[in-house]
Amino acid sequence: MNPPGSLGVLEEKEEEHLSTPILGPSIHSDNPQERIQARRLRIAARLEARRREALGEYLDGKKESEEDQSKSYKQKEESRLKLAKLLLCGAEFVTNIQVATDIREIHRRVEEEEIKRQRLEKLENEVKTSQDKFDEITAKWEEGKQKRIPQDLWDMLNTQQVHCAGLIEDKNKLISELQQELKTKDDQYVKDLKKQSDDTCLLLERMEEQVKNVMKSFRQELHNIEKAFEVERQELLTSNKKKWERALQAHNSKELEYLMNRIRKVEDYEKQLNKQRILDCEEYNMIKIKLEQDVQILEQQLQQMKATYQLNQEKLEYNFQVLKKRDEESTVIKSQQKRKINRLHDILNNLRSKYTKQIKQFQEENQSLTSDYKRLVVQFKELQKAMRHFALIDEEKFREIWLMNEEEAKDLISRAFDVDRIIHTHHLGLPWTAPDFWFLKNVGPISQQQQKSATQILEELLMQTEEEETEAAASEPESYLDLPKQVSAKTTRKILMLLCDESGFLIESKLLSLLLPLEKSECYLLRLDAIFSALGIESEDDLYKLVNFFLKYQAHHSPSSQEPTSLISALEPAEQIDREGEEEESLVEGETEEKETPPSPRLIHPNDVLKILEAFVMGLKKPRDFQAPVKLLKDVRNNSKDSEYWKALTTVIPDSTQNLWDALYMALEKYHLVLTQRAKLLMENNSLEQQNTELQMLLQQYLGSKINSELQVPPTQVFQVPTK
Amino acid sequence: MQETITTPTMSAPSRSSVSTQDRSSATGHASSTDPQPSKPSVAPPPGKSKGPNSGASVRRMRRIIAEDAEWSLAIVPLLRELCIQHIVKNFQNNPILKQLPPEDQQKVLNHLSPDLPLAVTANLIDDEGYWSRCCMQRWPVCYVAKYGGSWKRMFFERHLENLLKYFIPGTTDPAVILDLLPLCRNYVRRIHVDQFLPPVQLLPRPRSGEQSDSGSEGEMEEPAMDHYQLGDLVAGLSHLEELDLVYGVKDCGMNFEWNLFLFTYHDCHSLAATIKACHTLKIFRLTRSKVDDDKARILIRSLLDHPALEELDLSHNLIGDRGGRAAAKLLSHSRLRVLNLANNQVRAPGAQSLAHALAHNTNLISLNLRLNCIEDEGGQALAHALQTNKCLTTLHLGGNELSEPTATLLSQVLAINTTLTSINLSCNHIGLDGGKQLLEGMSDNRTLLEFDLRLSDVSQESEYLIGQALCANREAARQRALNPSHFMSPITAKGPENPVG
Repeated sequence: MNPPGSLGVLEEKEEEHLSTPILGPSIHSDNPQERIQARRLRIAARLEARRREALGEYLDGKKESEEDQSKSYKQKEESRLKLAKLLLCGAEFVTNIQVATDIREIHRRVEEEEIKRQRLEKLENEVKTSQDKFDEITAKWEEGKQKRIPQDLWDMLNTQQVHCAGLIEDKNKLISELQQELKTKDDQYVKDLKKQSDDTCLLLERMEEQVKNVMKSFRQELHNIEKAFEVERQELLTSNKKKWERALQAHNSKELEYLMNRIRKVEDYEKQLNKQRILDCEEYNMIKIKLEQDVQILEQQLQQMKATYQLNQEKLEYNFQVLKKRDEESTVIKSQQKRKINRLHDILNNLRSKYTKQIKQFQEENQSLTSDYKRLVVQFKELQKAMRHFALIDEEKFREIWLMNEEEAKDLISRAFDVDRIIHTHHLGLPWTAPDFWFLKNVGPISQQQQKSATQILEELLMQTEEEETEAAASEPESYLDLPKQVSAKTTRKILMLLCDESGFLIESKLLSLLLPLEKSECYLLRLDAIFSALGIESEDDLYKLVNFFLKYQAHHSPSSQEPTSLISALEPAEQIDREGEEEESLVEGETEEKETPPSPRLIHPNDVLKILEAFVMGLKKPRDFQAPVKLLKDVRNNSKDSEYWKALTTVIPDSTQNLWDALYMALEKYHLVLTQRAKLLMENNSLEQQNTELQMLLQQYLGSKINSELQVPPTQVFQVPTK
Repeated sequence: MQETITTPTMSAPSRSSVSTQDRSSATGHASSTDPQPSKPSVAPPPGKSKGPNSGASVRRMRRIIAEDAEWSLAIVPLLRELCIQHIVKNFQNNPILKQLPPEDQQKVLNHLSPDLPLAVTANLIDDEGYWSRCCMQRWPVCYVAKYGGSWKRMFFERHLENLLKYFIPGTTDPAVILDLLPLCRNYVRRIHVDQFLPPVQLLPRPRSGEQSDSGSEGEMEEPAMDHYQLGDLVAGLSHLEELDLVYGVKDCGMNFEWNLFLFTYHDCHSLAATIKACHTLKIFRLTRSKVDDDKARILIRSLLDHPALEELDLSHNLIGDRGGRAAAKLLSHSRLRVLNLANNQVRAPGAQSLAHALAHNTNLISLNLRLNCIEDEGGQALAHALQTNKCLTTLHLGGNELSEPTATLLSQVLAINTTLTSINLSCNHIGLDGGKQLLEGMSDNRTLLEFDLRLSDVSQESEYLIGQALCANREAARQRALNPSHFMSPITAKGPENPVG
């Protein structure tokens, strides 16, 4: 039997040497990534090879690589080869034992087989011979049965016994032989065992030796490789060092240059610095001295302050004492006062209750009164409305009557004028000129109207707009104001509203509080009234002026920034003219205003209102003084003008003409008489003529008769002459 | 402990949490906020070390006493440490590990004793450190690389191996192994047993005469000589990949008996059923077990069409030609990569059948027929087969009585074949002419790396020249390996795995 353990060890040992290096990326790998990698490498290698071949460099790969590669590579290659050889030899050396045992085993087997065969042969022979002998013996037994003679039988038995003994002896011999063989085999086995153990020992020894050797040689080779690397490194180092030194030298020289430059610069800067330092030092000293002086002054002040502080402290202490005493007193007083307060509180409470009661009462009263007042106001308004209506009607009537009378008067006057003209032209033969009087042209009542006060206008204005609002502006009532000639009532109203809103400071605060509960329009009215009184606006004209001023200002404002002074100067002459010929001027102004597109008051910025007002007031100062007497005169003259007008109408024919007419009348009387006489005469004449005609008729008849033609001289011809 | 309680320790209320706890448990007041279950038996050393007598109560107030150089109060360990200690101590009864935070887990594992019962630790602990401690404690030599670098696997495999080695059928309780099964089923990948003990004979028979001869007398005791049946165990191991068995006894010394080395038919049948049922098995080794033709046929029949088997090793047995034929059949009915029939009794007919199977096989990488007797007929058949085979890389024909005719055929094969990397023809009678022919064949070969011709009557000159050619081939192979893109060699691509001897 082979010792399997040692074989196993051997096999294991072999395994280690069998291991081949691990491959790189293979194109047969399962991993597609790896396959791609492998193909790429292959392609790159092929390209590389082709390029080399093209360049003719690729003479001998190894040679070139040897030349190309460094010492270390050579050393590595060498070591690798050496070590591979060593390993191979070692493996062979170790496995030699296995092989030797194998062949021994084979030899043993062959021998064993031979021996076995021989043994078998021998045994077979033995079996055959013993079988023959046995057969012989058994045959003799048969023979023996037939023998009757005991002597023979005994002989035969003896021979049989001898035969059997021979047979047994043969067998025993064989057995002993075999046992002998077995013994030798046992000995052999023991020897083999010993040999095997020796072999194993040898194997172990060799393996150990091999391991040692391999380790040693590996170490050696490693050392060699390291050395080679070291040498190479040294070379590289020296060459690099040379390069480095050269570079360093160049660098140093440059550095030196830079350094020199730098030193020069540094010196320069140092000089400058020194200069600067000296300057700074001086400055510093000056400042120091100054500051020290300041410090001294401040210390003095501090001392003073301290003294005053001391004083104040004492004062304050005294005050404190006084105050303490006062405090005590005040506590006493306080208690007294408190008691008083209590008492007064009681009283106050009583009074309060009373007061509340009264308030209630008065409130009730107030409510009833206000309701009354409201009712009255409504009534009053209605009354006013009615009054206005009646005034309107009255005026209409007045106008109608006026017109009627005027027409009558004018008829009369025209008749008189006709008569006068006839008299003049027909009777006197004088050229007649129609008398040219202003009142003749007048139609209707004299337009010179009463100047209304500003407040009235305002009221009307507001009322009107209110009405307009209510009547939805469908029927535009002819306004009794002549505002429309310049600006519409609406714009005026808006301007006034603006004014009212912006110049609240002109109104007294009491008035404002009073105004609160009133209606909106009334409130406006009252406020505007107050503002106007403050501004000194009293008459309608003033109001218009104000409105116009606003509009003008607006117009001026748009092209250029407002110049209140120039506006005032512009206003002054206008007013002077105004005073001289009010109506015309206003008309002209109105026309001019209307021509321009009336600027919407909306465009007036609320902030501008005050400026405008200021300008207006400045402008208004002077004319205000004259206003009052003018207004009075206008009232008186109005009535007188009426009467004058009518008187003038009566005296349309002057006295001289009447005198003329009287004289003429007398003359015409006389002339009439003459004429009447003449008429009598004419009558006679007429009758005579009639007679004449009758006679002529008769004559005609006579002439027409045939006798006439028959006559030599016809009588018709004779008569024709006198008619002509 | 009692002493510390009775001594006036009241002056130190905030000394050690455990001592206060003890006090509270003894006196029954002073509510304890300690989350640890109060066990009087668990007392850390600081609790015991202090309190020598009542006079020291004042000193206990202080942590440092300048005059007394030896006075030092052990700092109260953290509650966490205490808990960990407690867990370690009670791990057997109450294994708490997975609930702990990782750093504490590590601490616990570092302090666990390797003697803990496997039932507790097997499926709970995966930490390699713990298992390495277990292994180091049990076995002086531990070569963890053999076990895939896993200490746990090593522990369980060796533990199981030990149990199997010393299992005596009939006397040892089979539950010993079956109890271990649920614990080790996920970790054991290989069963390597080089000894199976036979059942014990109560009466040591006096064997004077006939015991020395062959095992013919074994027939009588055969039913009684069955070894442990692996069936249940192997069925339970879900990751088993390798079975390495030797039916024999080690260290029998002077108690040697032939029947100690008996691989009975019953054993054989049960083993066959076992390996048939084990679908994960990759490597099956049954060596030095007196497997003869019949048993080999039984085993190989069960291995036909096995889904995973890659390596079959039946070396050092008694397999003859019929067994060789069975192996040849197996070659064509499985995905076997390595076949080892070394040191058997395969002769020419068996080798011829193997050669027939090998001619069209595309799986087998390594074939070992060392120390058989296939002779020239078998060798020629194999050489013919190798002319068509494109897969085999390693062939061992050492010690097979081969001679010149085989060598001539092999030289032709060498010229054609591009897959073979290793041939062993040592211990044959190749002869001088055969050596020359082989040299001729080698001159055309570029792939062979090893060619063993020792002790085969080949002239030194040709052996040397063959050695040169092999050197060149090796160099070329190395170049290929270094930059594989240069050469498109199918050999290196096809056989990346080395044949596992």
